[in-house]
Amino acid sequence: MGKDFRNLILNTPGAEKLMHCYQCGTCSSDCPVAKRVPEFRPRNIARLAIYGQRDRLLSGDLIWLCAGCYTCYERCPQQVHVSDIISTLRKIALLEGKIHPTIKNIVKVLPIYGYINEIGEFENEMREEDGLPQAPQPSTNEIAAIMKSTGILQKIGGGEY
Amino acid sequence: MKYALFVGCTTLSRLPGYEKSTRSIAKKLGIEFIDMPGSSCCGTTYMDGLEEITALALAARNICIAEELGLNIVTICNGCTEVLTKANKSLKDNAELRSKVNEVLLETGHQFKGTVEVKHIVRMLKEDYGINNLRKAVVKPYNGLRVGTHYGCHLLRPSDVMQFEDPNTPTAVDEIVESTGAISVVYPEKMECCGGPVMGIREAVTWSIGLSKVETVKKYADALITSCPFCYITYERSQMMTENNPNLPIVHLPQLIGLALGLTIDEVGLPLNKIDTGVLAMKQRE
Repeated sequence: MGKDFRNLILNTPGAEKLMHCYQCGTCSSDCPVAKRVPEFRPRNIARLAIYGQRDRLLSGDLIWLCAGCYTCYERCPQQVHVSDIISTLRKIALLEGKIHPTIKNIVKVLPIYGYINEIGEFENEMREEDGLPQAPQPSTNEIAAIMKSTGILQKIGGGEY
Repeated sequence: MKYALFVGCTTLSRLPGYEKSTRSIAKKLGIEFIDMPGSSCCGTTYMDGLEEITALALAARNICIAEELGLNIVTICNGCTEVLTKANKSLKDNAELRSKVNEVLLETGHQFKGTVEVKHIVRMLKEDYGINNLRKAVVKPYNGLRVGTHYGCHLLRPSDVMQFEDPNTPTAVDEIVESTGAISVVYPEKMECCGGPVMGIREAVTWSIGLSKVETVKKYADALITSCPFCYITYERSQMMTENNPNLPIVHLPQLIGLALGLTIDEVGLPLNKIDTGVLAMKQRE
């Protein structure tokens, strides 16, 4: 079981150097999130990945707590890049329909608004009051076409586009 | 000097002061910014971790708009900067990826050609406009104003993609700040992330990370300077979410530059900042 999941991780882009991790803990010591969240330790995530611990990795919001600051990426002496391992785990979570709801919502609204939130008539009125030009009007049809072509919305469970 | 300006969702909808000061200093410095018709969200920093081709295609569509205008892109959000720079680099370097993404883009009528550069405004000021020229444009320098600079992760990291400055000892923002006469103070944990990207996952973690830097900088400086909308929001809101608000002014870099260029507080949108920034004008030479 553990080995199957480890192989899945190793065969997903981003985790090529997972087995080079010698558990030095540089990643954990420099991680801004680890300083506040006891269960979020990049070193431990690498260890759980090596042992193929699917449930402990994919349950809850563990892999979504990475701030993506790339501090561990810069400092890893083995170029394991736990930030990339976490991206790999997110890709696997996505395939299993386990995307974090906040991120799912952001992806879902992109083909509707073209932005991560609506910038419509009301927002443009406010912008005008502040002396700013109208916000660029995104070609939402083009964004929808891209997302339909790659199938991302089906993958997140966001319906047809 | 002429660029395509990519503002980014968060600044467009939430930080008029950042956008206004950006446009005002450009005008003052003789830099022309052209808005990008049809441009959208960069794709977010999350997308690449979910699905590579979607991330690349959404970013590439925006880059294509600048290519069609024949202009390099200037960004003011670190997230957009990383996303667009990464896509631009990957698609320029990897022909196989490029043809895959161009196939996805077919229906949009755009095709990625790889003819433009993406630069954050900090990088543009340092590499294209020049710090010396900026210094020469200063007419109302600061006198004794002490500020902490916060670079924000994705201006520098991942360094093999961003290829800008040393991710541990960058100098561009400090050089810009000092060209205005302000003093950039040395403070501990300067390169630590603001924690902004975790805001939608566990808000309290973000406020804790944010407040920690604010409290540190408060000991050394009059204000904290940011050049990314997420860092700005984190440092401003983390103070307002706590009982003992430290009231450290958070200032967008172009606002700091703007006053030194002789612009008014309204022209750089300073009254829109939620924490009083009066200290800036008080510490300017007449």
